[in-house]
Amino acid sequence: MDIASLGGDLLGTIPLGDIVLYLTPFHLFMFVVVLIFTGLIAISRSETQVEASFKTLKDNKVSVGLEEFKIRRFLAIVCGLATAGAMITGDLFNFTLFVTLIGIINVGIVSAVKQIDVLDAAYNYGIIAMIASLPLFGGASIILASTGTLSLFEIAKIATTAPMMTFGAILLLIGIAGETGTAPFFASKAEMFRTPGSPFILIIHLSSLMVIIRAIEILLIIVKVI
Amino acid sequence: MKRIGELWNKLANPSIVPKLFSVSLGLILLVGFLIPMDLNIDQIYPRPAPQQQIIEGLAVAPYDRGGEVLKVPGITRAQYPENSKSLGMVNSYMSPQALFVQSISPYFGTSIWASPGGLIDEILYYTRGFDTILESSILMMSFTIASWLAVNFTIKRREEKSSNHNEEHK
Repeated sequence: MDIASLGGDLLGTIPLGDIVLYLTPFHLFMFVVVLIFTGLIAISRSETQVEASFKTLKDNKVSVGLEEFKIRRFLAIVCGLATAGAMITGDLFNFTLFVTLIGIINVGIVSAVKQIDVLDAAYNYGIIAMIASLPLFGGASIILASTGTLSLFEIAKIATTAPMMTFGAILLLIGIAGETGTAPFFASKAEMFRTPGSPFILIIHLSSLMVIIRAIEILLIIVKVI
Repeated sequence: MKRIGELWNKLANPSIVPKLFSVSLGLILLVGFLIPMDLNIDQIYPRPAPQQQIIEGLAVAPYDRGGEVLKVPGITRAQYPENSKSLGMVNSYMSPQALFVQSISPYFGTSIWASPGGLIDEILYYTRGFDTILESSILMMSFTIASWLAVNFTIKRREEKSSNHNEEHK
């Protein structure tokens, strides 16, 4: 499908050499939503979890220390900015780089927690993110080989989809599914949320959701099924 | 029906997930061998054919860019030439040391450290400069995470262990 029927009329482009970011109503909306959420995260304080203790009436408060709070806030803001960038980028390789950045930061946000289960899950998610960089960049390079270009505008102009392009798109989808931890690979990522520090943990969710939506749009640009 | 339930329960275990992911990725990569190969000759970032520049006898083969610094543009191409107006202008710049090595050795161009500005570099730093920024920020973020963990987590954990001998954070 062409870009206008997927995202609406082209409002404008931001040319950065060969990498042209573009804005349609769809992309602009997602870009602004992510930026607003990132702003909210930047000014918010992290939650304190209250755990009931066994065989006693006392409650156990699990809070985040100042140092951990600072690094998490920093990583959450960078994750938000990377997600916002992935929303409006008009270049395939640029998009994969944004997704990789999000994947690494997602591990980093939970890497400082003290719960062993969460660390295990983050470790497993990190392994998936590392494996997923193979299909992610491999898919992008296969699409580059078969189309000769990485710009989504140029790819949208190509009338037919070669089998190699479809295969590249499938690899890209697997890479994104691994980096964002969607079904059926969600278990490791779902376990990562069982820790205090809520607003920063939530950006992991939000970035995955937004990237998946954008990835579907990009895959529809590459594979002309309709 | 019960078996499907057991399967889903196994999927909920984080340590199973990387194995499942890699197996499914491997299967799809195997399917990839059946896909007919397809290379578009009209690439945006072309390279000369192997050995072509060496056969032509160019001094910095295989990294000869053509052109003249700040006067004649070299052989670099861009997707949107209107966005990079001075493309190829510093393509063939070489430092005085590089010129000296080139004058005494025919193998100068084969070492990447001697690559004179060059096709790769102009794509890296000019037409696709934003990608380079992103790549280095990925690297920077991983170093930030690793060094933060090393300073605030690993070292402190050792202190905690030696002081009260608890095995809580092993």
